[in-house]
Amino acid sequence: MSKEIKHNLFFEHSPEVVWDYLTKPELIEQWLMKNSFQPKVGCQFQFFMSPMPDHKFDGNMHCTVVELIPLKKLTYTWKCGPGDGSINLDSVVTWTLHERDNGTELQLVHDGFKILEDYFMFTAMNAGWLMNMQKIPTLINNAKNDTGKS
Amino acid sequence: MTQANLDAFQVIADPSRRQMLVLLSKESMTINSLAENFDMSRPAVSKHIKIMYTAGFITITDVGRERYCTLKKDGFSELQEWIDFFDKFWISKLKKLEALLNKKTK
Repeated sequence: MSKEIKHNLFFEHSPEVVWDYLTKPELIEQWLMKNSFQPKVGCQFQFFMSPMPDHKFDGNMHCTVVELIPLKKLTYTWKCGPGDGSINLDSVVTWTLHERDNGTELQLVHDGFKILEDYFMFTAMNAGWLMNMQKIPTLINNAKNDTGKS
Repeated sequence: MTQANLDAFQVIADPSRRQMLVLLSKESMTINSLAENFDMSRPAVSKHIKIMYTAGFITITDVGRERYCTLKKDGFSELQEWIDFFDKFWISKLKKLEALLNKKTK
């Protein structure tokens, strides 16, 4: 179980080329989604994807540019909800570029799943721990049976 | 109240419910002992418990006169599904970006 999504890629292109694909709406659309992005801190924009009613997701990703350091770093919030103005998922997407001799290293981190913070405070929340948790009802039942006998 | 069918994210969007889940992550507790940790009416606590129960975050076991709350995997799995969804989402999008840039002449 992880609380963040992280991917690293390498391109044999200059940071300028890679940066364009992260910040020009028509280029973003080619690989990511239709969008109303503008490269300005504070800019509120949307990504348009398919709704997923089962997950109470109306298909619009609501984002705000939080940080923008040309050719180096781009951060935006990543929020969505069922379409009634409420937000179910509140997270942050960060792109970092590092210039290398023969190209550019690009890192994507999607984290800050805000309403999950406390959830992930359950540091022991892994498969093993969940299994332990599921033993508890059995323990309680056993205790109950013991009480029943006495 | 139409809160019986909140999804997993709505369940944990409430600070009191998050705190209840944190308490329950340490041990199973009776509704009464759980309620002692909160400055709210017993019916209010019961309402939160019902919401968490309906969304699969806890189970309730009757032991004598007491009702024990225990964390349950299902609710948490739904949260993890979202993260897994976006992980797959990014992998497929990044592949597209890679293909585009690889095609592009340097």
